[in-house]
Amino acid sequence: MTGHPINFAALHDVELSGLAATGDRKAFGELVRRHGATVRALLRRMGADPARADDLAQDAFIAAFERIGEFRGEGTFAAWVRKIAARLYLKKLPREKRLQSLEEMGEAEGDTGAEVRFAGRIDLDEALKNLGEGERLCVSLCYGAGLSHVEAADALKLPLGTVKSHVKRGLEKLRARLAQPERAAEERLGNG
Amino acid sequence: MAEVDFERRLERMFAEAPVTADETAFAARVEGRLNRGWAARRAMIWIAGVAGGAIGATQLLVSNLRPSLERLEIATPRELITLREAAGAAEWMTPLVGGETLWLMAALAAAAVGLALTRMIEEF
Repeated sequence: MTGHPINFAALHDVELSGLAATGDRKAFGELVRRHGATVRALLRRMGADPARADDLAQDAFIAAFERIGEFRGEGTFAAWVRKIAARLYLKKLPREKRLQSLEEMGEAEGDTGAEVRFAGRIDLDEALKNLGEGERLCVSLCYGAGLSHVEAADALKLPLGTVKSHVKRGLEKLRARLAQPERAAEERLGNG
Repeated sequence: MAEVDFERRLERMFAEAPVTADETAFAARVEGRLNRGWAARRAMIWIAGVAGGAIGATQLLVSNLRPSLERLEIATPRELITLREAAGAAEWMTPLVGGETLWLMAALAAAAVGLALTRMIEEF
């Protein structure tokens, strides 16, 4: 009506989601551009292969657009969509595979301590490879999708205690893993 | 405290995303799906509106046909035969005249109004 194009890039997420709630798909597209990477990364970290992560992330954004009126701006938009994506992933994950994954208590394949690349920062993706699938899923749900332990247990249809122990073990492994580069850096500084 | 700090750090790491080259392409795919869904919705509303209009027009014609025939009693026998045959052909439509039809028409009319509104939103 005004003829002035809106500069979506200059708008805050809450403003964009407000526009999207009126049916503005271009405003929503800007939100997808901003947060698509974190949603896809979360799905990969939960165990989806890259192609499936892309498909699920698309589905999650479509679902978010249809439910955009539910987003009140109380948390961040990215956290809200990540939660939708995580729940969608669990919903589409075959139950057998889900249970099998969570029963697995063995170590996941990954770098051994000797193979740690001290020259560079070990990122979260690398660190997550050292977790069992159940641990990775629970940690990703609680710290990536922002679910509480109770919500994660409910989503996974598992006892709360099981989820808590997966999270506890996962955190211990991650803490140990992520501390290694820091220690190496400190040692390098000490030697220098 | 260290535990809480680590948890906050972990949340920040999850919120950080590795930079990928196809962010714009990914967003375009999502927008494309949204646009296709919107187009399909609009098409459905159009179809519902047209069907509603057709049913409404048919009912209007059929309901006016019988009184017209009665007024034509004075017409020639040949004309009457033709008109009565036409009325007989339309007999199948009469069961449609009822409460269900009215509700159906109302629903389709509402869908047509929805179409008009979506067009207005789209254009302004």
